[in-house]
Amino acid sequence: MRLPCRPPRFPLVCWMFVFVAVWPLSVIALEGGLEVVFAADLKTAGLDATAIEAADSEREANADRAAELTLATLPSLNELKVLGAKKSSYLKPSRAAVSQHSQRDASVFDQTIKPILNEACVDCHGPYGAEASFDITAIDPDMIDGGDAEWWQEVLAALSKGEMPPPDEMEMEDEDRATVVEWLSDEIHFASIARRARDSHSSFRRLTKYEYNYALQDLLGEPWDFAKDLPPESVSEDGFQNSSDSLHLSVSQFETYRQLARRALDRVTVRGPRPDIVRWRHSMSDAAAIEQRMYQAKVKRLEKRFEDDAEKREKQIETATRLYRNPGTGPYYLNVATGEKARAKWEYNGAVYAIEPVDTANASQDEQEASASSVAPVVEAATHVAVLPTGKRSYLTIELGNQIPDEGLMRVRVRASRGHDQMRIPSMQLVFGWRATNEGRADVRVSKRDTPVTATAGAAETYEWLIPLGEIDPRNAERKTSTMGRFPSPSEYIRVVNSSVSKDSDQPADIVIESVEVDAPIYAEWPPQSHQLIFADREPNEELSREEEVDYARSILTRFMPRAWRSSVDPAAVENKVALFQAMREGSEDFQDAMLEVLATVLTSPKFLYFAPRAFTSTEVSVPPDTQVSSRQQNSADVKPHDRQLSAEDLATRLSLFLWCSVPDERLLELAASGTLHQPKVLLAEVDRMLADPRHERFVRHFVGQWLDLRALSYLAVDKSFSQFDPSLKEAMQQEPRAFFAELLRTDASVLDIVHADYAMVNERLAVHYGITGVEGNEFRCVSLDDDAARGGILTQAGLLAMNSDGEHSHPLKRGVWILKCLLNDPPPPPPAAVPEIDLADPEIMKLTLKQRIEDHRNQPACMSCHQKIDPWGIAFENYDAIGQWRDEIKGTPIDASSALYNEQVLDGVEGLKRYLLNSRQDQIVHAMVEKLAVFALGRLLAFSDSAAVDEVTRAVRQDGDGLKTLVQRLVTSDLFLSP
Amino acid sequence: MKLNLDSLDRRRFLRGAGVALALPVFGSTSNWTAIASAGASAGVPETSGQSGANGDSPRDVKRLACFYFPDGVPMPLAEDPAYQDWSWFPHGNGTDFTFTKCMEVFQPLRNQITVLSGFSHPDVRQVHGHSNADQFLTAAATGSDGPYKNSISLDQVYANHIGDQTRFSSLVLSTDGGTGTPRGTHTMSFSRTGRAIPAEHRPKRVFDMLFVKRDADAARRLALSKSALDDLLADAKSLRRDLSGDDRERLDEYLDSVRQAEQRVEKAKRWINTPLPNVETGDLDLDVSPEDPQRYVQTMFELIYLAFRTDSTRVATYQIGRENAFGISDRLARAVGFNLAHALSHETKQPGGWERFSTYCGFLNREFYRFASRLQETPEPAGEGTMLDNTLLLLGSASSAFHLSQNYPVVLAGGKAMGFKHGQFLNYAGSDAVGGLFDGVPEPWMKEPAKDDQPLTKVFVTMLQQLGLETESFAGRTGGLSELV
Repeated sequence: MRLPCRPPRFPLVCWMFVFVAVWPLSVIALEGGLEVVFAADLKTAGLDATAIEAADSEREANADRAAELTLATLPSLNELKVLGAKKSSYLKPSRAAVSQHSQRDASVFDQTIKPILNEACVDCHGPYGAEASFDITAIDPDMIDGGDAEWWQEVLAALSKGEMPPPDEMEMEDEDRATVVEWLSDEIHFASIARRARDSHSSFRRLTKYEYNYALQDLLGEPWDFAKDLPPESVSEDGFQNSSDSLHLSVSQFETYRQLARRALDRVTVRGPRPDIVRWRHSMSDAAAIEQRMYQAKVKRLEKRFEDDAEKREKQIETATRLYRNPGTGPYYLNVATGEKARAKWEYNGAVYAIEPVDTANASQDEQEASASSVAPVVEAATHVAVLPTGKRSYLTIELGNQIPDEGLMRVRVRASRGHDQMRIPSMQLVFGWRATNEGRADVRVSKRDTPVTATAGAAETYEWLIPLGEIDPRNAERKTSTMGRFPSPSEYIRVVNSSVSKDSDQPADIVIESVEVDAPIYAEWPPQSHQLIFADREPNEELSREEEVDYARSILTRFMPRAWRSSVDPAAVENKVALFQAMREGSEDFQDAMLEVLATVLTSPKFLYFAPRAFTSTEVSVPPDTQVSSRQQNSADVKPHDRQLSAEDLATRLSLFLWCSVPDERLLELAASGTLHQPKVLLAEVDRMLADPRHERFVRHFVGQWLDLRALSYLAVDKSFSQFDPSLKEAMQQEPRAFFAELLRTDASVLDIVHADYAMVNERLAVHYGITGVEGNEFRCVSLDDDAARGGILTQAGLLAMNSDGEHSHPLKRGVWILKCLLNDPPPPPPAAVPEIDLADPEIMKLTLKQRIEDHRNQPACMSCHQKIDPWGIAFENYDAIGQWRDEIKGTPIDASSALYNEQVLDGVEGLKRYLLNSRQDQIVHAMVEKLAVFALGRLLAFSDSAAVDEVTRAVRQDGDGLKTLVQRLVTSDLFLSP
Repeated sequence: MKLNLDSLDRRRFLRGAGVALALPVFGSTSNWTAIASAGASAGVPETSGQSGANGDSPRDVKRLACFYFPDGVPMPLAEDPAYQDWSWFPHGNGTDFTFTKCMEVFQPLRNQITVLSGFSHPDVRQVHGHSNADQFLTAAATGSDGPYKNSISLDQVYANHIGDQTRFSSLVLSTDGGTGTPRGTHTMSFSRTGRAIPAEHRPKRVFDMLFVKRDADAARRLALSKSALDDLLADAKSLRRDLSGDDRERLDEYLDSVRQAEQRVEKAKRWINTPLPNVETGDLDLDVSPEDPQRYVQTMFELIYLAFRTDSTRVATYQIGRENAFGISDRLARAVGFNLAHALSHETKQPGGWERFSTYCGFLNREFYRFASRLQETPEPAGEGTMLDNTLLLLGSASSAFHLSQNYPVVLAGGKAMGFKHGQFLNYAGSDAVGGLFDGVPEPWMKEPAKDDQPLTKVFVTMLQQLGLETESFAGRTGGLSELV
């Protein structure tokens, strides 16, 4: 039977299902729009002859089902998930893991494969016309030593997807295709295993900026930002920052590391006695009194200024009074007894709004400590309250002057409630700010999460924040140089902000504030825990003899070094640092100064800054030097039985870098030391423990950010015409993919939920954007979606759609490239140099819709080959505008979001795209997710020699229900992860 | 008296221009030298072989600053109505040329400026311009894919020569910060080993580094540094033994860094007793970000001015934008009311497209001009002529029209005291330079060049020679350009 390489074009018959046996890889699908779907897109090396046979038999089963369903309704997306999963080529048992590659028959290529390729490929990809710079006769069929295995992977992909030979130019018989595909799959699989056993794929690398930061946080015991001064990290080709290839080091960076380590150690340790606490007590009666004073002063000024002009005086005073008494939609003080309002204003000139701290000079240390830990603030009967309605300027400014300490915690307590008869629960934020001059100012949000104000009117509760003052950046640099009341102003303030979503609804979300208290610096104990972590067992400034100092230094180093260097440290290494301490002691201020300098060296050592995964070594198998046959043999991977296994300590580190983006904790190191960490049961229990620990949020944050390349979202700016776009929406957009991923991980939900889910993770702001009702508050939560929600999964998240737009219009190309890159891990080649742009001066072109323009552009031969693979993926999202809102038309023209892929597959809107992915691309999606997580987990790009191992993980995940947590577990226990 | 400068006037000028230099009223020439040169003299031990950094004679100061902008320049064809006004390159040749609207801002400094056309680095002429910012100052064969190797940049060649005469051997700035990636650099400067030198993008950090004392006890720390560095070197060597080939290479970056740090310690010891120049921020907004594009660019230029003015360094680079629109610098176009800079280079076919692209390039020219005239208006501290006379400026991009990496747009300015002859347009591209609208396949960068450009290294060699280096070649290419001097 000789059939064309691709199905003939079918007339566009909507909602009709046609079954066509075209070539062995085609499978009938139940699609809206066009009819034929190929399961042929098996980019993965897992495709083999059995898969083709399975596809054949399944095709018939599907045909029956198709017949049944023709008259019924289309399967839902969720049903498609199940149907599509059954087509997986990973459902069969795995190939033999042991390779006998040397016995593979090399003559097969010459006798069988080569003739087929000669006939089908050489015309275009031969020595006389190497299109795409590719000559198939020039690549070596020896996958192990030939050096061209990656090319053969491309050949396999092109053949199995049906992209090549070009369907309209060349025919290839089904049998031939199957033969070549089967041969290539096998060769690649076995060669990958063979090369894996032989090649080193080192992931020796420097810690990334964020890993360095978290490592210091975990070692030093304070959640502060210690790494701000490091230069931004480069991003590798596939979007990851932790790839060994891109993590370089320069001398200035090295010097920055030294400074940062010392600064970090200085910040977590203290000297001298506990500092006095400065306290501010601010009732709203006081606040209203200040406001009244300002008003009266203003009136007085007006009276003086218009002494001789009664009419003008009256008018001006009237205006001032009206402004004072009528706050409009802004915040105001309410006289509880009279109901009289006075607007709550603030201005920085002259620091006139600053409040004095209360006098605590006489308070004893005991009292200080007692009040530091007390919970209930002093409550006075309030004559006034401050009311913060929702809105842009809805905050209460409490100016604290120039006495806010540099370090320690600032405790802010706000007594607040909802407004009268108010159903909505408002959200509250805390901002720290200052304004030195008209230009010199800062407002830094210091509350990490928004606080819901649940207290009902009349039953105010106390809401508290503990803000690390040393983390606020920038502080007012004038606070130590200028004087209060002078210009530039040295004063600083806090702002209590009503961050509730402003809605047009008549439901108010006021915050009613009775009083505000600020105390700083607060230390739970003195010296603080972080100090004691380093300087254990001794009082600060304790007098020590030089001998005692050396012993103490040794004990500090013995405790500190193994954790910092993530391994047992031999006594000689400790003694080196003790010697360094002794050398430095002379030039140092005191013991602490010298000790911190030595510890800074420990934290600048390559043993801290780099991760060097080593093979497992055991004293039993190590060869004494005199019996070494040769040094080459000693280093060779083949000699030692355990060389393919990662050492236990490095396994602990790899695991913690993966799931915590940081160094291992003591428990992990203990398990490593005891030799049990390699046991799958122990390892899986640790994965569970680590994912239950809040530190796993770092993994979610950084993996998702890098995988989906969310950088573009962080500097997203949209056209002014999108008046509804505001910072809180942007923030929610950034959070959504992470919240979604975290939910998948938590519930072990299917990786395919990325494509489509019947739930979403949203907060109120995002729910408003999506038109989902019934969500209140700024916390993200899981909500179920209607079938027609046009949301669900990653693809339709507003942030990703907006990020892949240009701020004004949707950008199908960006969206298409993004899907191919991030979701399918099939990145298109980089764009050519000078893209011939669309000639907008041409009136004919101006008449076209965006989609038509893209198609016109694509029809230029230079562009077609790439764009045909990219554009349809993006055009399918045309129903989403530049900020990810649903639209049915653009300027009155209905949206046409359907477009055909190279293999005639029509993607009809986002629904069609999801259908296609779920029906035909499940293996690729799961495989891509495995690859992305593996790259992140290993900290290096994947090599050809990893492909069989990646397939094994994918197979296990697919057979086990596609869960995301399952994927993490399978990955961690895979050969990929457990090898050096 | 030679340095009969009215110090009051000078202070007023500095304030008016946005920055207050806290200058004392100078009693004598030698006083002025000691303070204004910020440590190039008093208290600093002279190393042998250096000259002119001390004493009563005018100092022989030569500075170099290089600037890069991405995405090329507008080059409408001669028959295009936009040609007359919106071309980047001037019309004419030699001393007989006219600036277009894009460059007319240079007119007052015409005699301090040379515009070059028809120059590029030969090794990457057929590589996409977007990959080539990396080699603008290095002339390395950085290629289009595969292994990447860069080499030392022009500024660092000079910094290695002159850097130990100032507190900082060079100042490396960019709008995007860091190193970027291979072929997507965020820095113009590459070290001796071809490693990217991370660029600073935060004005505050630059200012603090230059003028704000970091540690009161820096001297003592330096003494401690030596032992710490020795210790770290030992750690690294012990780790190195456990590593295999490629990994060792990676760790060698660390070893190199420690060794360079040791050299810096040696050098810093000489500066430690010399007070930092007393510069106040005045109206300078050090927290400005590229969100406020014009002020940001101006601030970066101003910081280079201050660094030069106080002789904190004599070498500076500033990459105004990275190639290919990834990053914050692409949004500098907002300075002139557009959205994204790179898009302007693609949208020249649209009505008004050339004008918009040219307007953006004109903005960059204007800021460069502002900087050059600032130097021109400032008398050389403790020297002769103006600062511009002793400062060589290079502005350019590694592509011309539609990211074709040939015929780099290049402006050379200043350095008259070094012998540069200006007021000319060295038009090696001639009238048939590739330009106009892109009209199809194959793309221009893929084609064999119709005409070979001059190697830009010729310009670099002459620059280095005039800066005082005895060299005949740069990046392995021999020969200078005599027309420049």
